[in-house]
Amino acid sequence: MNDNNHFFSRETWTALGFLLPLAGFVVIFILVPVLGTLTDSFFLDVTYRPRRYLGADNFIWLASDPEFGRALRFTLLFVLVSVPLEVILGLIIALVLNERLPLRGLIRAAVLVPWAIPAVVSGRIFELIYNYSYGAANYLLTTLHLTPEPVNWLGSEIGAFLALVAADSWKTTPFAAIILLAGLSAIPDDLYRQAKVDRADFIQRFFKITLPLLKPVLIVVLLFRTIEALRVFDLIFVLTGGGPGGATTSVSLFGYSYFSAGDFGYGSAASVILFIMAFGLSLGLIKLGRVEQGLMP
Amino acid sequence: MSHFQVVSYLVSESKKWVLSLMPAFIWLLCACGSANREAVVFAVGGAPAEVAFWEELLGDFERQSGIRVEVLRQPADTDQRRQGLVIALNARKPEPDVFLMDIAWIGLFVASGWLEPLEGKMDAAPFFQRVIKMADRHQGQLMALPVYVDGGILYYRRDLLERFRLPGPPATWDELLSQALTVQKAMRETNPRFYGFVWQGAQYEGLVCNFMEFGGSKGGFSRQEDGLRLDTAANRTALAFMRDLIWRHRVSPPSTYTEMKEEEVRLYFQAGNALFERNWPYAWSLHQNPASKVKNRIGMAPLPSSPGSKPVSTLGGWHIGVSRFSEHKHQALDLIRFITSYDTQKKIMLRMGWNPGREDLYDDPDVLSRAPHYRALKDVFQNAQPRPLLPYYTQISAIVQRYINSVLAGRESAENALNSAQHGIDALQQRYEPK
Repeated sequence: MNDNNHFFSRETWTALGFLLPLAGFVVIFILVPVLGTLTDSFFLDVTYRPRRYLGADNFIWLASDPEFGRALRFTLLFVLVSVPLEVILGLIIALVLNERLPLRGLIRAAVLVPWAIPAVVSGRIFELIYNYSYGAANYLLTTLHLTPEPVNWLGSEIGAFLALVAADSWKTTPFAAIILLAGLSAIPDDLYRQAKVDRADFIQRFFKITLPLLKPVLIVVLLFRTIEALRVFDLIFVLTGGGPGGATTSVSLFGYSYFSAGDFGYGSAASVILFIMAFGLSLGLIKLGRVEQGLMP
Repeated sequence: MSHFQVVSYLVSESKKWVLSLMPAFIWLLCACGSANREAVVFAVGGAPAEVAFWEELLGDFERQSGIRVEVLRQPADTDQRRQGLVIALNARKPEPDVFLMDIAWIGLFVASGWLEPLEGKMDAAPFFQRVIKMADRHQGQLMALPVYVDGGILYYRRDLLERFRLPGPPATWDELLSQALTVQKAMRETNPRFYGFVWQGAQYEGLVCNFMEFGGSKGGFSRQEDGLRLDTAANRTALAFMRDLIWRHRVSPPSTYTEMKEEEVRLYFQAGNALFERNWPYAWSLHQNPASKVKNRIGMAPLPSSPGSKPVSTLGGWHIGVSRFSEHKHQALDLIRFITSYDTQKKIMLRMGWNPGREDLYDDPDVLSRAPHYRALKDVFQNAQPRPLLPYYTQISAIVQRYINSVLAGRESAENALNSAQHGIDALQQRYEPK
């Protein structure tokens, strides 16, 4: 008998055997929910009414909903401020950790600790810092007599925004640092030695060698962080609850407030917008990465 | 053995392997859905001590009736409790069979057709008739029963009012303000954390309850032909007054609009750091705890009002109902009869300090001798104002909370905020009840 008489060769069977569970996972846990959410977004789907097809009405309402507009602006601003901050800080930490330091292994492990803490827990930790009545920040200020009265950190729009950025950066900078560190250690030492022979100083070495060779990894970090920052939810839910006065409500939180009240259609529509934004940004970043790679010698 | 034979052997073996596991998988999938088909499942949440109390109570019921009850523990947070129930009921799950509902959700649960009518099966006569009429009876059908009721009240420091020779608790908001200013000024000399008045201003449901009370009988939501109206003169005045308490008169702490929920307010007052407190009646027995700094120094009064307006107390509380999808409706009704019985409600009252939905208990000599403050509470509950009983009230509340909180944060004027909130409410009504 000959293997070719059969529709599937041995390799195909083996490959399918390995791929099917994964494909099943993708279909059940990614494709079904995404398509389900997309379908729901075209319906008036509330618990106390029969489901009714609306066409694009949910999206038209979203466009004219000032609260959604505000949530969208807040979310984009949050991404724009927190992601570059985290990546730059992460890069600095990665550069330091890439040097031959004493106790390097220990320091590397220590840097990762915030990343290992769940966002809800780190949100609570930061609440203990910012809290007006018993927070650590106000305790320091008042015992050192730096301000006459305690500061209501989360009480202003800008204060709450910066508090969230600080908490988010604290938690996710290590992630950026570790990925970038992996990228750094893949750059061959020969290049630097060669550059030193050519008398390139530190700045030149960084911009001519490190940064171009790190770009693919940088793109990956940016991609992960952008998507995660776009759908920020847990930290805000715990730390500000979207306040003061809805000033820190993200698109996820906006959608959640409708889901949890039983309006699945409108909440889904908000999620679809978020999905499209994340998808578009990812495509853009991936394309950017490809172009850069293509330009490299 | 050729290659093919090996492959076909492996394939057939793996098929057998998969097939032999199939029943296990199916069993696993089904097992998640059926917890215990015999028992009545009762969903209840709250603080650990509260859930423990319910479990003890249900143990008594099991012994008396021979019906098994399983407690589905829910979180303490009201929104999360609603969400857990909405998911199960929207999927028409037979469990939970019985659950407690916040008064603010009854409109949603009734309109969604999730509740088994109780008309003719339960006697609503012993309960607060106003509460039954406004919250539990829908189109002539009794849908739920109040297990305990709530209404906002004013707590005050009797000792401080006496020390500064101030006449009794304030009847108007202006009186409250002037008393708060006097006492706060004097107290600040020894206690820099002292504030005149603490209330719930954080962005959550409690803020809407407080807002309705500041507005008095002329404020709050009014139902008109073109829908719900919030942008009224009385509400603008009330909202500006709330903001001024924090920013202009500074008798309420700056954290009012970021942190102050029931418990934060209770603890602030209980630490001896405030003259007046707006809270629900549950705070009374906690304030009178041996460890409390205000024990035996406090009084309880109806909330103040504005001239020409009657005081308003927002009606809160938890109601019990049976799921329409329950497969144990008879046993579920027995459980409700037990929980709303005179004896159980008395136990709830004396043990937990909650306010039963049964009106007859407020005249019980035994109760009054042990907790005389219930005499005053009866009046509060008889006159309390409910929030709009619309199925989409939660969404309306979310909008109102955001705009009111925004004013308290000093981000916009009361006029603008109420105007925007009104637009938001109108848009919601158009979406959910298109004309």
